[in-house]
Amino acid sequence: MDREHPTPPREDAPPTLAGPMHLVVDGIEGTVARVELPDGTTADWDLASLPRGVREGDVVRLHVEHGDLEIEIDHAETARRRGEAQAQLDALNQATPGGEIDL
Amino acid sequence: MRGLLALTVLALGTAQAAPLTIRFLDVGQGDAVLITSPEGKSVLYDGGRSEARMQTLLRQYGVQGLDLVAASHGDADHITGLIPAVTLYKPKFFLNNGIAATTQTWNKLITATQKAGTQGLVARDQQVINLGSVKLTVLAPPPGMPRGEQNVNSVGLLVQYGSFRALLTGDSETAETAGWLKRYPASFLGPIDVYKSIHHGAANGDSAAWLAAVRPRNVVIGVGPNNYGHPTGAALNLYRKVGANVFRTDQQGTVTVTVQPGGKYAITTERQGGVKPAPAATPTPRPQPAPTPVTPPPSSVYYPNCAAARAAGAAPVRVGQPGYGRHLDRDGDGVGCE
Repeated sequence: MDREHPTPPREDAPPTLAGPMHLVVDGIEGTVARVELPDGTTADWDLASLPRGVREGDVVRLHVEHGDLEIEIDHAETARRRGEAQAQLDALNQATPGGEIDL
Repeated sequence: MRGLLALTVLALGTAQAAPLTIRFLDVGQGDAVLITSPEGKSVLYDGGRSEARMQTLLRQYGVQGLDLVAASHGDADHITGLIPAVTLYKPKFFLNNGIAATTQTWNKLITATQKAGTQGLVARDQQVINLGSVKLTVLAPPPGMPRGEQNVNSVGLLVQYGSFRALLTGDSETAETAGWLKRYPASFLGPIDVYKSIHHGAANGDSAAWLAAVRPRNVVIGVGPNNYGHPTGAALNLYRKVGANVFRTDQQGTVTVTVQPGGKYAITTERQGGVKPAPAATPTPRPQPAPTPVTPPPSSVYYPNCAAARAAGAAPVRVGQPGYGRHLDRDGDGVGCE
């Protein structure tokens, strides 16, 4: 099979860049960024392929606009996710016991 | 094959009593440390990057229960394996640095923790957790660490059993260890019998000043195939300069420390590896294996075909660039839609 030819669309086909998608920068290791993909797995990308100034924890939006691939930090989505996750963690930690703990 | 390398030091112990066991699990590139007290109480400090791998290891080592899981910080190569650990064993506590990550992996872990009824335990400096007869002391991130950076907010754990001491410090970087050096006297930090290499032997982890205080006798590096150059020659040189024996999970598999009451301990490895005890003299750099190439973006974010890539004005699309997929690269030279 010629792998360059498009595969027939399937119900369970993974998302492609035909629509916007979000990645999350899980960590930055020198010139390599470890990104979490929409399916929850991680991959290493060249940091240079991401928007300048991207930081750990940032949500990055990829979409095609007027035929151009746009990659940008989605600051609003980053703030939304960070806020929700922090509230959830704060609630989990709310009853943290003080003093010595015996397991 | 086990028991290929054993070191026996320190005081006499009682052979009949159950030992403390600390396993530096081979989880590939990542950290996971399983601690089991003589009383059968267990802690999992970090869980590596794979849920399946952690499930296999928990079965392999016959883990019956976990009383506490700890995330040194929120990066995926430290927390992913905690998800099945929490789901399967419903531990009493989840020790964390109090700073949420924005990834799905983090969200999944916290959701699993909530479902398990596990109590969150935000790190408080020098809080003591008694794991039966084993004493754990929490090293919380020092004041002034930027909240947006997980590594420098890693939670450390000092493990003490008799005269034996182990130290685990996540992916701390020099800013955090400098803070700890200001906060703790050298007599608190060292000497350490078994020390987990910071950040898999990264260049921004261990430093000469920090190791001068910690004085590690043995260093275990949790590391696997990676694109980051871990462990770095700089870190390996630092370990040699302090005269520490170095163990690596990528070469020797899971590294197990068995501690008898009183503090006598032995270190065994899952398989024989190329790491040798450090020389006392000034070391020479050891050639490092070439890092594996950066993987291309996987199929979940590729252009479906070259027509789409061209329509987006992205052709040719290269390895490492968003949208690249192997199916676009017929000659496999790393450039698709040429």
